[in-house]
Amino acid sequence: MTIKPYIALLAMSAAVSTAWADDDSRFTISGFGTAALTATNTSDAEFARPNQAAGVTTSPRTGPDSNFGIQLTAKATDWLSFTGQGLVRKNVTDNFGAELAWAFAKAKVSDNLSFRVGRVGLPVYMISDYRNVGYANTMIRPPVEMYTQVPMESLDGADVVYQNSFGETSITAQFAYGKTDSDNYAGFTAKLRNMSSINLVAENGPFTFRFGRVDAKLTIDDYSGLNTIVGALTKYGFSSIANNMVVNDTKASFTSVGLGVDWKNIVVQAEYGKRKTASIAVPDTTSWYTMVGYRIGQFLPYVNHASATQDSARTVAGLPTTGPLQVLAIGANSVASAAPLQTSNSIGVRWDFNKSAALKVQIDRMSPGAGSNGTFINVKPGFTGPVTVYAAGIDFVF
Amino acid sequence: MKNLIKKITFALGLSSFAIAVNAAELVVIVNPANPATSMTSAQASQFFLGKSPMFTPVDQAESSPLRAEFYKKICDKDPSEVKAIWSKLVFTGKASAPKEYHSNAEVKKAIAANPTGIGYIEVSAVDSSVKVITALH
Repeated sequence: MTIKPYIALLAMSAAVSTAWADDDSRFTISGFGTAALTATNTSDAEFARPNQAAGVTTSPRTGPDSNFGIQLTAKATDWLSFTGQGLVRKNVTDNFGAELAWAFAKAKVSDNLSFRVGRVGLPVYMISDYRNVGYANTMIRPPVEMYTQVPMESLDGADVVYQNSFGETSITAQFAYGKTDSDNYAGFTAKLRNMSSINLVAENGPFTFRFGRVDAKLTIDDYSGLNTIVGALTKYGFSSIANNMVVNDTKASFTSVGLGVDWKNIVVQAEYGKRKTASIAVPDTTSWYTMVGYRIGQFLPYVNHASATQDSARTVAGLPTTGPLQVLAIGANSVASAAPLQTSNSIGVRWDFNKSAALKVQIDRMSPGAGSNGTFINVKPGFTGPVTVYAAGIDFVF
Repeated sequence: MKNLIKKITFALGLSSFAIAVNAAELVVIVNPANPATSMTSAQASQFFLGKSPMFTPVDQAESSPLRAEFYKKICDKDPSEVKAIWSKLVFTGKASAPKEYHSNAEVKKAIAANPTGIGYIEVSAVDSSVKVITALH
């Protein structure tokens, strides 16, 4: 945790007092949060959201699913505005820490076109931009099977957003370019450079269709496990395998489609995505989920099924499987099989008990695949699953 | 009063609705300078759900029964569903939620002052400062 986000939050709260003193409402302040308790039925592994360093076992904790965000928008002119959002949650360290989620200047060139410069949301997924806003979502959290594939949430650079309606269909097209550094809970830093992102959304009445594609050059720094095995492979004459494992300026992409339906009482949300990289240390994966809900007054019960599988081989061919050098194969295979295999079934309900708050209860049954710990962390030897995850929380906006 | 309503609705070329007029009937209004003459409620709902930035929607007060009735009629949604939709846009910095006004008169004044404004009021409050583009039943 660095000092900078705190300064940003302080600056924001200073700006808040200005906002309340200001009558012409050039400043808008809004916020969101979730207060939740999460627990599981096992002590052999911890359940956590993507990139959290610590999770929960059998004792309920607030860590995985609670957060608090505050956003300030200042309108300089009719066409120019500034937005900053601070987010407090548990992420790569086992503490609630403040982050500067976004901070950008937005220029509205016309009714249809706007440019943003600064730190903007990285639209990897359908609900990327509001994944942390519990109130805006049906489920208590984005399905971990899918949202663990690309943990980066923002992009430092610029984007252009085009929005238009054709009859009753509205189209939003977003193109972003920039870079991002993402600290991983495991201690390394993933750097995405030359990152481009396309996000296309078409909405017609109750239907939303979405296509997204992110391309980047990926470099992983300070990943000691990877560096050790790459070094050993090179030393013992397996340099071509080592080269396939190095993550340095490596081509990486994520392609996904999404569907949203909100028709009469029926609510559907589904996504399908594929991750591809040129390194066997960042495996190619496929992930998807489908949620179906049915609204009954203020209650929205739902079920969800999610899956994460690996497309590239989980073992590295061409290494000795016996003798003293088989340790190389063991090491290489552990790197090549780092992607979580998991399916889960969830059931839950959202209750809009108040105009600005919703209560959610969700139970997940998560089954790690063979030879994988799934999305679970700090796993004890012999852990297999399946695991039941219980969560209850209140989402609010203001 | 009833006569007046009839006159107004007639003047707006909406005489066919006059029979059905009652105090709770809602109409979608825009600035008289707006070139749009009529639209379907599905088209109008796009602006109130943040799906089109072409017009600037304004809302009635959160506690107003008109607000609940309006969203029920125009898109069959509860105010909390609408709020969830807007929170998706607000917290990505893509749009600001509609400004709230506390009466038909205030909404009308805001629309009359904003060439791209779009709002909703009871039909009984309509006058020449605004233009009706959709009536909701």
